[in-house]
Amino acid sequence: MSAITRTTIDLGGRRLSVLRGGQGAEPALLLHGGVPGVTPYCSGAHVWARYLPFAAAERHVVAPDLPGFGDSEGGDEPCRIDALARVALALIEALKLGPCHVVGHDQGGLVALSMALAAPASVRSISIVASPAAAPTGDSVENVTLANPPPAPWSRGAQAWTLERLSHDPTHIDSALLDRCAACAELPAHRQAVARAGETAKAFAASAAKAKGDFYTVCRDGAFPVPAQIVWGADDPMTTVEHGRVLFGIIAERQRATHFHLINRAGSFPFRETPAAFHLAVGAFHRGLAGAL
Amino acid sequence: MAAVTTMERTAATGGPPMPERKWVDVGGIRTGYHESGRGEPIVFIYGGNFGTADSASSAFTWNLNMAPLAERFRVIAFDKVGQGHTDNPLNDDYTMQAVVRHAAGFIKALKLPPVHLVGHSRGGFAAARMTLENQHLVRSLTIVNSGTLMPRVGTNEVVLGKPPFAPYTRECARWVYENYSFNRAIVTDAWIDAVMETLDLPKYRESVRKMVDEGFGTTRFAPNLARDKRETLQWLRDGRLQRPTQIVWGFNDRTATVEGGFALFEMLAAHERRTQLHVVNESGHFPFREHPERFNALLADFAAGFAAEGV
Repeated sequence: MSAITRTTIDLGGRRLSVLRGGQGAEPALLLHGGVPGVTPYCSGAHVWARYLPFAAAERHVVAPDLPGFGDSEGGDEPCRIDALARVALALIEALKLGPCHVVGHDQGGLVALSMALAAPASVRSISIVASPAAAPTGDSVENVTLANPPPAPWSRGAQAWTLERLSHDPTHIDSALLDRCAACAELPAHRQAVARAGETAKAFAASAAKAKGDFYTVCRDGAFPVPAQIVWGADDPMTTVEHGRVLFGIIAERQRATHFHLINRAGSFPFRETPAAFHLAVGAFHRGLAGAL
Repeated sequence: MAAVTTMERTAATGGPPMPERKWVDVGGIRTGYHESGRGEPIVFIYGGNFGTADSASSAFTWNLNMAPLAERFRVIAFDKVGQGHTDNPLNDDYTMQAVVRHAAGFIKALKLPPVHLVGHSRGGFAAARMTLENQHLVRSLTIVNSGTLMPRVGTNEVVLGKPPFAPYTRECARWVYENYSFNRAIVTDAWIDAVMETLDLPKYRESVRKMVDEGFGTTRFAPNLARDKRETLQWLRDGRLQRPTQIVWGFNDRTATVEGGFALFEMLAAHERRTQLHVVNESGHFPFREHPERFNALLADFAAGFAAEGV
């Protein structure tokens, strides 16, 4: 099995920390979810740890710490979807990954959608995973899953509580995950993000609304430009199966190669809770598009 | 727009031929089947039933899947009792129970190790029921657009009732499959050729006489199936199905709508952790013919994921 290594990529002066492994044509780019300093667990490339070996066994796979997360510094502006999409596209350029399969979790799914609209030639397909961030909300019902966290914010214990609340099956929450989440809370990117969390929450929400609006408009008035798969956990505390179905329906309207894959007994982290089942969906989708078994 | 793929172009010209037909005796029923490749066995059960004159299913339904999957698996498609080239049921037993018994008998006759069973439409019901009665014969189960198995209202009679063409004609068969499909262009001459081959067999015409003219369809087959379905759904709700199961559904099927796939998923997922649902866009009743490459990749991964050495 291919080794996964962490390296630092220089994107025109901006340093991005990435996990990499595997080799082969049509690489995969994995984009984690979360809003830096706002989402009550420290997200980053490490969330993909249980899936990376599966992906790396069949293709070159790259999972960055997006700006503001882990070892990647956030820069001067608060985190925004469009900025994350630009960085991810710059990473594709720098590492000559394009066109690659983009797999995005929650907010990362919205980044993937934005990338596909901005630069369809760089994106072979997208997979949107457990992404309440990308699904329409309507007049939604408040979700109280994370309403009453224990003290102290971003402590190892508080992050463990968050991750457990987001999961259907919490056994994926191992010491490797908690160690990294706790370590990330001490890194400069996170400290900076927390210091401006209020500003980020506002800017991020506005950018997410704009990204979703652009996406819905393209699907309504034109056609989504690349093959897409929606992967949903059947037991996700943060969203409903119907949200995933609606998201699928929006793209399916005019994109022939659109799939919806529902994984049983998985919550917000199907790539951690049920990594084999997750790979079954995503790997088959990628290979099926190439006409390969 | 996604480019038209190699396989789709192949499909437009008819696709690869089926491997040469072989024969095996299954409890006195001469059974035709096709087999190719090596490895863990995948066994396909197609849909439809005996005694229909508008169209007729046969093992050829799987021709776009047999050859590609044979690169990694031992793939087998057989003709169900009374369908394709297989003999009609003994003692006029035109029932789903006879179909299920014959399917189990076929797997036993070939002395197969536990199989990855794939059932489409009415074949999805037969596959699920056969698995419920013979779990030791099955390693994993894939159900494709099965209106017969889903706990919802099917709309076949609405979409496919009263064809505007005479029975036993190419035009009629084409009309049926075109109405089943999202993209009508997937109904190739080769597919219709295979349907006509079955429709022209004297023994098949005999099954139509029994089912239609003698009324077995309404007096035996339908009530028997209704009883069987009630029991089968109850068994599924009880959690008796204890094999990894993936449900694959063409999103645009007007006869077995996608709600049925979701309802089936909920029934199975409540009891079996290893349950998945996969919905394929721009596909009617036959996702394995409308999008063979992506269907084949999905099936190959599911079978490999639950192979003898797997989880």
